[in-house]
Amino acid sequence: MVELDTIPPFFVDKRELVDEILGRYPEYGRRSAVMPLLWEVQRAERHISEARINEIAEILDIHPTEVKGVVSFYSEYHGEPVGTYHLQVCATLSCSLAGSDQLYDHLVDELGIVNGETDHEGRFSIQKVECLGSCGTGPVLQVNDIYYERVGRSRCDSLLEALKRDEMPEAWRERGGDNEGESKAAFLRNGAGGGEGGAE
Amino acid sequence: MKVHINDVAMDFPQGTSVIDAIFAAGYDVPYFCSQEYMSPIGACRMCLARIGAPRKDKEGGWILDEATGEPKIFTFPNMMATCTTQVMEGMVVDTLSEDVKRIQSGMVEFTLINHPLDCPVCDKGGACELQDRSYEYGTGVSRFEFDKRHQEKHHPLSEVITLDRERCIHCKRCVRYFEEVPGDNVLDFIERGGHTYIGTFDPGLPSNFTGNITDICPVGALLDATSRFRGRNWEYKHIRTTGMDDASGSAIMVDGRTGRIERIKAALNPDINKTWIDDGTRFGHEYADAPDRLTTPLLRKDGELKAATWEEAAAFITERLGGMSGKDVGIAIRADATLEEGVAAKALAEALGTGQLDHAPRPAASVIPAQDPATFTDLATSDGILVVGDVTEEVPIADLRIKDAMKGVTPPELMPHGVPIADLRLKEHPQLKRAILTVAAPYRVDLMKHAGQTVRYPAGGEAALFGALTKLAEHGGERVDGEPAGEGQAGASLDDGERAALGMPYEDAAALVRRLKDAERAVVVYGGFVLATRAAAEAANAFAKAVQAKVMILGPMADSYGLELLNVGPSHERYAYPAMLTEAKALILSNLDPGQDPDVRRALQDKELLVVHDSFLTDSASVADVVLPAKSVYERDGTTVNLEGRFLGVHAASVESGESEDFVGLVGRLGEALGQRLEGRSVRSARRVLRKRFELDPAELSPAGRLYRPKTRRQARVAIVSHEAFDGNLLVTPSMVRIEYLTRNPHLERVVEGARLRMHPDDAALNGVADGDAVRLRVGGVLRRAVVREDDTVPPGLMLLPCLPDQPVGLVQADLTTLTREERALEVAG
Amino acid sequence: MSDVTDTTHDASTRPITSRRDPRYEVVMYRHVGVEGAHTLDYYRSHGGYEAARKALSQMSPSQVIDEVKASKLRGRGGAGFPTGVKWSFMPPVDGRQRLLVVNADESEPGSFKDRYIMEDDPHQLIEGMIIGCYAIQATKGMVYIRGEYVKGYERLVGAIREARQAGLLGRNVLGTDVEVDITVHRGAGAYICGEETALMNSLEGLRGNPRLKPPFPAQAGVYGLPTTINNVTTMTSVVHIVSRGADWFASMGTEDSKGTKLYQVSGPVERPGVYELPMGATFRELIYDLAGGPKEPAKGFFPGGSSTPPLPWTDEYLDLPMTYDAMAKSGSMLGTGGVIVIPREKDIVSAMYNVVRFYAHESCGKCTPCREGIATWLPKMYQKLLAGLGTREDLSLIEDMVRNNRGTAFCPLADACAMPVQASFKWFRDEYEYIVDNGKPMYTKSDWWQA
Repeated sequence: MVELDTIPPFFVDKRELVDEILGRYPEYGRRSAVMPLLWEVQRAERHISEARINEIAEILDIHPTEVKGVVSFYSEYHGEPVGTYHLQVCATLSCSLAGSDQLYDHLVDELGIVNGETDHEGRFSIQKVECLGSCGTGPVLQVNDIYYERVGRSRCDSLLEALKRDEMPEAWRERGGDNEGESKAAFLRNGAGGGEGGAE
Repeated sequence: MKVHINDVAMDFPQGTSVIDAIFAAGYDVPYFCSQEYMSPIGACRMCLARIGAPRKDKEGGWILDEATGEPKIFTFPNMMATCTTQVMEGMVVDTLSEDVKRIQSGMVEFTLINHPLDCPVCDKGGACELQDRSYEYGTGVSRFEFDKRHQEKHHPLSEVITLDRERCIHCKRCVRYFEEVPGDNVLDFIERGGHTYIGTFDPGLPSNFTGNITDICPVGALLDATSRFRGRNWEYKHIRTTGMDDASGSAIMVDGRTGRIERIKAALNPDINKTWIDDGTRFGHEYADAPDRLTTPLLRKDGELKAATWEEAAAFITERLGGMSGKDVGIAIRADATLEEGVAAKALAEALGTGQLDHAPRPAASVIPAQDPATFTDLATSDGILVVGDVTEEVPIADLRIKDAMKGVTPPELMPHGVPIADLRLKEHPQLKRAILTVAAPYRVDLMKHAGQTVRYPAGGEAALFGALTKLAEHGGERVDGEPAGEGQAGASLDDGERAALGMPYEDAAALVRRLKDAERAVVVYGGFVLATRAAAEAANAFAKAVQAKVMILGPMADSYGLELLNVGPSHERYAYPAMLTEAKALILSNLDPGQDPDVRRALQDKELLVVHDSFLTDSASVADVVLPAKSVYERDGTTVNLEGRFLGVHAASVESGESEDFVGLVGRLGEALGQRLEGRSVRSARRVLRKRFELDPAELSPAGRLYRPKTRRQARVAIVSHEAFDGNLLVTPSMVRIEYLTRNPHLERVVEGARLRMHPDDAALNGVADGDAVRLRVGGVLRRAVVREDDTVPPGLMLLPCLPDQPVGLVQADLTTLTREERALEVAG
Repeated sequence: MSDVTDTTHDASTRPITSRRDPRYEVVMYRHVGVEGAHTLDYYRSHGGYEAARKALSQMSPSQVIDEVKASKLRGRGGAGFPTGVKWSFMPPVDGRQRLLVVNADESEPGSFKDRYIMEDDPHQLIEGMIIGCYAIQATKGMVYIRGEYVKGYERLVGAIREARQAGLLGRNVLGTDVEVDITVHRGAGAYICGEETALMNSLEGLRGNPRLKPPFPAQAGVYGLPTTINNVTTMTSVVHIVSRGADWFASMGTEDSKGTKLYQVSGPVERPGVYELPMGATFRELIYDLAGGPKEPAKGFFPGGSSTPPLPWTDEYLDLPMTYDAMAKSGSMLGTGGVIVIPREKDIVSAMYNVVRFYAHESCGKCTPCREGIATWLPKMYQKLLAGLGTREDLSLIEDMVRNNRGTAFCPLADACAMPVQASFKWFRDEYEYIVDNGKPMYTKSDWWQA
């Protein structure tokens, strides 16, 4: 592949970073560094190419096949570039009960791409993912590293508009349960907003 | 501990797996992921059985069943995978009940749902574990009605292995094989869940032992490309014999059909190669069926070689011999000839009255150690190994046995059903004890990547290296106040030359010596580089003695040990091969081709009689008076002796090769023409000689072979004329792949891309050649053809070239002025 | 609503099994949701690291283990193994590196309690790890955090940095000669890596397939070294056990399930979220009292994440105490305590397909029954049912296939899918029969998305 010969190595100017990552693990556990090294590449280049696999194999002194086996096992490492805004829709039960299936369909309609695809400009890509661990505030949409929670119809559209303007909003962190914000103290005292309760 | 398998009660040692207990008891369960000599992983879930065991109470007594008073059997809540469960005292195993049968057929059903219905076109048909288990344990009907998973169907993993991803049942034998046996992790699963498939990111599968995965794959996913679509398994005649491509004596199975060899597989020999063979042995058979095999004798009439009968040829030879003194005749056979052929050669030499008899290649030093040679089991259980040379190319199986030693698992006890199916001592991702292995060579060899210590000494420096090490072993390396003797301490001093010869810092050498001395089962392994001079071999043997290590000598070819034991050699040094090429007036050469060198060829033409016995019309044959068609190594019945001194049987596969004969047949024919009943005129008569000489019957050898340890001292062998001093710019290296047949082994040729002339990139530039150039070069007088490979691990100023029978391992002078590029015909892939 | 019945008459010594009990207070989630609570200053000013100080300077490692044993804390990751006992499995100190690994892979559908700890109160986790490392005499802790929890990762790494600077991690923790340091390792999107042996493989840089047991992690864990693996909130529980004592912890809960635990509610309820409760509280208290009850009629619920067999929405099950034993007796499991409410209008076939698809997607592919049964065949059967093409024979086939997945796979993932499917057939068979007999689902609501 031409690609292999012409692109400069990723880690060649990141020696300190590589050393720091390797330093997190003991010498005999050097291989553990494969995942953080892959994350660095995934974050920077939005995918992990063949060349990077070979490079990481060399850093860790293991076979490229072993790196490829690890890369391909996980849902968050991609072999093809994902969009600038990688939209990951949680499709598991609790979010589905909050409408994530309809959210996904809406995104497909709006963006013209389906699960696993990236649009022509490379701006948006969609991936159906499994439970994101925010089941109380579904439907949850993870864009790159950020969670947007309770993405209802209108909020979804406003999010897309913002992304199209290249303005990525702060995380939409919703409250619920013992995660209540200002009213936290009162909430804890009273136990619940209603029903039987109150201090005895 | 006592275990009940259905209605059979048997005793098993602790650590036995339940599946082995089941088979030992005469019952069976299906399995796919377990494999002899590899870790059990419990992945396929076929071997599930209902298991129960008694339990102890807090005081240590058995909890009793109130009704019977016997220890109560607590059945495990789930069925257990018998391959990953150890036997326990009083365990009860049920493999026959309905429950178990239901699960077995359920697992078969699951395994088959994505498996393509390829049986009619699949090479594995008839020898397929999935077919067999489905038939034995399945219901015969699948309820899966959906589309099966589609994957790539003939993915070339390498030039010699094809992968059909749809057929894969994910047993992981191939992945684990590469990690656990040769230690080259070149295959892995890609993706996960239902999408998982086998793949590689190391193109071409860079490993010397890739073919074994085609043996162990239980289905037709991994297939030998040399035999793809060549025949059905039940059509093949399977002949178990001994591989003759190296001195290991590995057991192989030759699969033939309609007079052709289609495929070589590994056969089981727990003492030598277990169930593995190297790729050179496995894929290097195609030459036996090359279209240009000689099938009839050829006789030169009117300057041209014309087909003739054996009678005509023999009569011609006898007539010519009649006109000269028998002692002017030289006879040379190749070092992979059988013992019987050796007997025949000796008998012929005696009949002719000549002392010009030899086998080639025969190194300067003896291939038989003074003490009993180390066996492969010694090697595989060693706790301190020094290897000098490239063992992976020379005797590939030794590489794997060394890795056994580094895994620290002793060979398993054989069970009633053979090698244990699930040896629980073997684990995935084994940690190799690299510290026990030191590899020394003049260039980077593959085994170095697994060694705890690697040493690069200057080419030709074997004698000096061992000399220095011996000095350390005999005087230095002592403990002074509990610590290894350091520099400058009593007796530990080496002069500058000796220090340089070590190729490593003094401390490392002292540590090496100490390690070998402290080891209880140390082994020193050396091959061609050391055997090339007597001085080096003597120094090596002295070192082994000083550290009390056993010695394993890697002889150049399959029967080097046997032919030396039989003393198939000259009466005087000047009659040794290749010296006899000038001394003798007439020559009978078997499977040797000195005429590759144009000068030698001219000399051969002038001989009064030149008889060449070979499978092909070689350069030497083309100037011969008589050419006699030779059987290949696969077509002979005979006996060979491997580097352990083990006698092994060689059995002929039926290959259509016309009127070819081995040397026994040749001598038989000549004997008839000479009117003499020569010993060795037939395999049977040769064996009479062997029986008398070695007090064992070759005809009665078991497949495992028999170690021979002589009771009396051998007579000293006659040395070859050798150079004692070293000078050279090219190192002829050992080769797992037989270069002399490479052009007729097209698959292997594509794997190795020709005889590689390896050189440092600077040397390539200096000599005006580049990576991939086809070149000719005169090496030690022999004109060689090769392909340039730039390699920055090769020391500058030294080139490497694989050996030929007529150009054995060692340092030689290459005339770089003769280095010329050849025009290569453009090959269309096909 | 009825409390857990108890024979002791003295109210002050009765175990605490309800949040309404005035003796109960939320401890683990005290700071979650409070702005700035993730900083060291905040944590310290609220009594942070005092438990660690107490453990390191006043107790020996084995005393810490004894305290945790006496508290009867059971692992909060779903398996419910007694933590003190697990800690005592570690072999005697022999010079090899020992490891404490925290399983922060939280990927069980319905489970989202660990995330807020790491985002809002990472120091609580760190303090728990210091105590845990001290107890098992490990000098190194490793947190395996799922890749999606980027914010949690950043907060945790930041907190570790603060802790190091303040001498709370490193060579001399809190001025003692105890050494503890923590590495955080990010996962990359694989539920199976929450299984402890697969987690170890993933941590080592291998593919995330589960391993054989034995050997157990304490004998040969990460890198073959003695390893203890605990859930995030097991570690945070330890902080409070050391701080307030085993007796305090054991004063909450029932005989078999002690202490305070984080439960979760999701699905269409008024106030979904994480709720900290004493063990022994009922589903009714959690779902109705705290979470405000279902927004629409409900027909069933998963008691502890999608791996636990769903139960019908009846008084019998809603009044069950949320304890390990009571749940096991009911035919289901407590799991992580993540309740998922199934509304009536969600056709069970569709709901179960969602669950099956989750396991299919997350199967690691190592063993045949899971790779071919759960990950390939089962989803296709459900697709056939949902397409209106299913038959009664197909229902029998699903039941038979799922039976072949029970107890036959290499790891519990296959059971985690198979058991809920079996329960759905047990409690909601009528919906399965309806869809095959009529070619369309019994409940047809398909739009759940709110404005």
